[in-house]
Amino acid sequence: MTALLIARNTYREATRDRVLAGMTVTGVVFLLLVQVLTPLALGEGRRLTMDLGLSSISMLGLMVVLLVGTSLVAKEIERRTIFNLLSRPIARPLYLIGKWAGLVGAVWTIAAVLALAQWVVLAVRGSGAWGPALFQATYLAGLELSIVTALAVMFSALSTPVLSALYTLGCYCVGQWCYDLRAFAQNFPPLLRDTVDVFANLAPNLPLFNMRTLAADGLTTSPIHLGIASGYAVLYCGCVLALAAAAFESRDFK
Amino acid sequence: MQASITPIDQRQVPGQSLFADPASDSAISTRGLTKLYRNPWTMKASTGVEDFDLDVRRGEVLGFLGPNGAGKTTTLKILVGLHKATRGRAWLLGEPVEKPSSRRRLGFLPEQPYFYDYLNGIEYLELAGQLSGLNAHDAHQRARQWLGRVGLGERPTLRLRKYSKGMLQRLGLAAALIHQPDLLILDEPMSGLDPFGRRDVRDLINEERERGATVLFSSHILPDVEVLCDRVAIILAGRLQRVATVGQLVQDGRQRVEVRCAGGAEIDVPPEFANYVSRATHPHETLFTLEGDERLNDVLMWLMAAGADIRAVTPQRATLEELFMDAARQVPADSTADLRRSA
Repeated sequence: MTALLIARNTYREATRDRVLAGMTVTGVVFLLLVQVLTPLALGEGRRLTMDLGLSSISMLGLMVVLLVGTSLVAKEIERRTIFNLLSRPIARPLYLIGKWAGLVGAVWTIAAVLALAQWVVLAVRGSGAWGPALFQATYLAGLELSIVTALAVMFSALSTPVLSALYTLGCYCVGQWCYDLRAFAQNFPPLLRDTVDVFANLAPNLPLFNMRTLAADGLTTSPIHLGIASGYAVLYCGCVLALAAAAFESRDFK
Repeated sequence: MQASITPIDQRQVPGQSLFADPASDSAISTRGLTKLYRNPWTMKASTGVEDFDLDVRRGEVLGFLGPNGAGKTTTLKILVGLHKATRGRAWLLGEPVEKPSSRRRLGFLPEQPYFYDYLNGIEYLELAGQLSGLNAHDAHQRARQWLGRVGLGERPTLRLRKYSKGMLQRLGLAAALIHQPDLLILDEPMSGLDPFGRRDVRDLINEERERGATVLFSSHILPDVEVLCDRVAIILAGRLQRVATVGQLVQDGRQRVEVRCAGGAEIDVPPEFANYVSRATHPHETLFTLEGDERLNDVLMWLMAAGADIRAVTPQRATLEELFMDAARQVPADSTADLRRSA
């Protein structure tokens, strides 16, 4: 209940922030601009709309997480609004879960709005049947952003907004290229290879959430893939938030 | 029950749980509460509060006095869960402060409260009420009531970013009181308020006392403390110096006596009274101030022998401010400076 209240307030904070509205408008405008370019795509307009539309959902979602999420807790500590919350009967881990859930709600909202706009565009172009592929890809992008949000909340609870943004972006990049990193590590001497392997394994496996190539052809993925991705996201978010809670528990607020 | 400063080795009763409140009839108890701040670079520790033992009785209003950096805010933050004590224990209404449930019946107003500026007054109070355990309906009803009670009811949907400092302070009080807490901890509740605002806060504290709530508040405004408090705790350099009723403090303090004489400018204080009597000459009168009443008769006899025209002899009770300053002077300058640096 407490976490829900904090989540609702965080959602309200994010949706009243101009960043979220700005990102949504940017996404819709980008989608319309893509339609202007489709005549140049030599019959691949539908594919271009799907690919760029899904990429914009991921990128704009990432920007929301970096701009809002990385200052989520740090800003509360800096402005001392956290005093008003933690002096009430609220366990600190629940506070962090609430903050994460609220921002995840806001990020999923922007993803849903953009996916809906994209489906309308596809339907107008006579490809309404690509809806399932579009919504599956959006669901996976949402899971990916939930993991990045958990990382942002963890760094925000322990560091300044600027450093949190850098750490989160770093984790996102390492996560996106974790397969390449593992393959690249094989060229190193054993000690360095093992070290890079550990980092690559600790980083989130973000390629698991990328089905843009499939969706660009209107193809759906298997329920097993969706199930594994969902389970992995829940587990990874849980671990990150548990780490954040453990570090946050002993923190003093000045 | 009086607040006591107990030696550490007497605190732990054999067989008693570490989590048991040693004074379960108290609203607040602390035993050996210590907070050290460690510089992460030099690893040098500075003291916030040290071996702090305090019992606040249920239903009393206790004023918490001390100069800047004395450890008032540190103590209050440990009590409300914003700081973790380095050692020692504290209990709120019988529950250890480490448990979030100890704050269920607590209302807290931080010094210079900050709020979510994207919310309006009603939304903020609803959130505060629900976080303290009220259901949505009750939280809404009480938010409206309290907004009106603190004089902000005319524009309930005004965003907090448009509130003045005084309005925010009132809103903070309403948020601390919305769930009818049994215990109120207020950090400088009158700071930044105009005289009307201060009067309103005083009235609110008195109302809470009449309702049976316990109030612990820190303040620099000594007249307010004098008027409101059943007892006063003085903290200096991180240590509790004294806890007593205002009456006791004043009674135990220096009792000056003022002797007012018409004219008398030519009367010099003899050497035997030099450290005891001071003289202030005004156009039509001379004021002799005695640093106590023990030698009053001797002084009066000397004045009459010197031909003084005595008009009035008035005992002067020391004010709380003087007592506080006296206590502050007794603490070594180094320790206060250390605390100020750490704060």
